[in-house]
Amino acid sequence: MSGIKILLITCIAFIAVYFFVRLRSSLFDLALLLLLLGTAVLFVILPDLTNRIAHYLGVGRGADLVFYISIIIFWFVILKLYARIRKLEQIITGIIRKDAIDSADQNKNTQ
Amino acid sequence: MSGPIVNSSVFIVIPFYNENAVIAEVINKILPWDYRVIVVDDGSTISPHEILKNFPGVFLLRHKVNLGQGAALQTGIEYALKQGAEYVVSFDADGQHDADDIAAMLLPLYRENADVTLASRFLEKGLHNASLIKQLVLKIARLINFLFTGLYLTDAHNGLRAMSQRAAQKISIKENGMAHASEILFLIKQNGLKYKEVPARIIYTGYSMKKGQSVFNSIRIFFDLVLHKLFE
Repeated sequence: MSGIKILLITCIAFIAVYFFVRLRSSLFDLALLLLLLGTAVLFVILPDLTNRIAHYLGVGRGADLVFYISIIIFWFVILKLYARIRKLEQIITGIIRKDAIDSADQNKNTQ
Repeated sequence: MSGPIVNSSVFIVIPFYNENAVIAEVINKILPWDYRVIVVDDGSTISPHEILKNFPGVFLLRHKVNLGQGAALQTGIEYALKQGAEYVVSFDADGQHDADDIAAMLLPLYRENADVTLASRFLEKGLHNASLIKQLVLKIARLINFLFTGLYLTDAHNGLRAMSQRAAQKISIKENGMAHASEILFLIKQNGLKYKEVPARIIYTGYSMKKGQSVFNSIRIFFDLVLHKLFE
């Protein structure tokens, strides 16, 4: 087993442990997580597997295929996060606005 | 709306953020007109409360944290409507507008049945002292506003606007930052509001230059606008 394989598998193992400890979530989530991490380990151990899938899809190398997919997922996550932030901002704005208007009503010294 | 305007039913909304040095002067110029004044303090480091004590008629609202000018404006508009405002005027706190222009801004609202009036410093000669770079940026901003909203105005990002009660109810600003200026145009278009541009003076003092939008900032506003279109 080459150095990079050991390194990657160790990282994946750490992520797995982190998620298992942090998120005591539903069985479905755990199964999904296991599946994803299992696939990751599988691809690390057998990189030729990604090569074969890549060739099948018309991409030169397996690493390239993973790279392309990662970029798309990366953008998707950014957009989702941004939408979430905007929503949070609107909620916070609503709360602060309500507070401002309510306390102005109480402060009769202003009028 | 018909019939002459009762000035005490006109609410001037001033978004305020750390303009403590000039706010008293700005209010002093508005008060002789007998308009109602709402100052929305958008989480300033030093509250204008002490200054505004000298103006018992002025409403002061305070955001507990800084949200941005758009958010402050919207808070002020909502409060004005709650107080029964017939007309709502937005007015910058840094002293670049002339309070004497407000009357002209209101005129088309009842005389020509307009819903919104937008101030323009470029409708007549000699209304502004903006630098050439600033003028260029405003020209580009006009074009961008046109592409986004379909309204081709002579001025862009002018903080002085007047709206009828009906328009104020329809214009609900969601852009907390500076992109609200374009969002308002978008809302005008969307709600089919009748708008008119009115010539008004903009005087950049050393103070308002420092507080105003830098050229670099306009790129950020543009970015906000793109995101607004993407997510709303």
